[in-house]
Amino acid sequence: MTCEEFERVLPELEGGHSIEQEAHLKSCSACSDLVRDLNAISQQARHLQGSEEPSPWVWNSIEVSLRQEGLISQPQPERARTLAPLLGWKLRWMVPLAAAFLIVFGVLLHERGGVQRDLAKQTTPPAGVVTADLVTSQEDEQLLNTVAARTPSMRDAYEANLRSVNAYIRDAKQSADSNPNDEIAQQYLMNAYEQKAMVYEMALDRSLP
Amino acid sequence: MADAKKQPGDRLSEATLIERAKQGDAQAFEALYNLHKRRVYSLCLRMTANTAAAEDLTQEAFLQLFRKIGTFRGESAFSTWLHRMAVNVVLMQLRKKGLPVVPLEDTMESEEEAPKKEPGADDPRLAGSIDRLRLQQSIAALPPGYRMIFLLHDVEGYEHNEIAGMVGCSIGNSKSQLHKARMKLRELLKTSRAEKATKP
Repeated sequence: MTCEEFERVLPELEGGHSIEQEAHLKSCSACSDLVRDLNAISQQARHLQGSEEPSPWVWNSIEVSLRQEGLISQPQPERARTLAPLLGWKLRWMVPLAAAFLIVFGVLLHERGGVQRDLAKQTTPPAGVVTADLVTSQEDEQLLNTVAARTPSMRDAYEANLRSVNAYIRDAKQSADSNPNDEIAQQYLMNAYEQKAMVYEMALDRSLP
Repeated sequence: MADAKKQPGDRLSEATLIERAKQGDAQAFEALYNLHKRRVYSLCLRMTANTAAAEDLTQEAFLQLFRKIGTFRGESAFSTWLHRMAVNVVLMQLRKKGLPVVPLEDTMESEEEAPKKEPGADDPRLAGSIDRLRLQQSIAALPPGYRMIFLLHDVEGYEHNEIAGMVGCSIGNSKSQLHKARMKLRELLKTSRAEKATKP
């Protein structure tokens, strides 16, 4: 058996060689080195399985979508009671703070897009006031246009994410408005804003050249 | 394809998580995600060689799975079901982008892509000197068709008949492309090692 003949049948050899092939391997160092190298590559490749970790953004997006689609039910009362003592009065300040993050991203968008705005009109909301409306669909459209200008293939994915997270904010805001003293409702609203801030952050990071 | 090694206790807890997820338990969904996220994401990342695309595909694969979790009856392992879904999501995305999914037939292969044949060449052995980073870099440098087959077979452990069914090629083609992928990787790894050796 020649080296060319051996290499021709090599793709079919998995798990064993014929007597003739074994004899060739024993007599030919080049082919035996080749087989050894290919086996080493295959064995080392197996260690790559499951070796990378996605960013937390991935689960956050999945959770948002699952809640919007009604696949995740509301948490149990015991969980709410466990959370309540940990939250305290600071939550009321964190809700407008999260909304302020969205304003900052909106400003960044305007700067990058070259759109002139009167930033003085954008004010930090008074404490305790829910401010979901400060970032409107106009800002979302601008974000999507920025993404589309730099990475067109990502526009649809971000549009879907914004739709989901806006619905999440609407629902959370409704709950917070109906229960202004409910700290859990405030926490959910803050989470919703954080989700949206995360979408903006990822979109702007990824759309950078 | 062999499943990841699991203990009987692990199987029971995953089954419990699945039942709770069917009832809408958020923690169960998250636990299932955490159990399988690395494998799904790693697969997507190696197939696309792009972090953003891999995260989007990972999200899509899990969402498709969770939407259908109510129909899961446990006939096959949950991880198998999820993994096949992830592969399908990636393949659909590659097809949308017009990237080659079905490996090129031998006659259509370009000279650039074909691994160089060196019968009788006196090369130093590669075995024992392959480090993970160089292997990852070399895989990323493979042509998409080679990379697909190599990832599915050598990294993820699918058999050729499974790969043929997934990507729409013959078993013989799958074997041929795998061999060429390994030969190309051997060439890339030796080149990389030689370059490293010549650097001061």
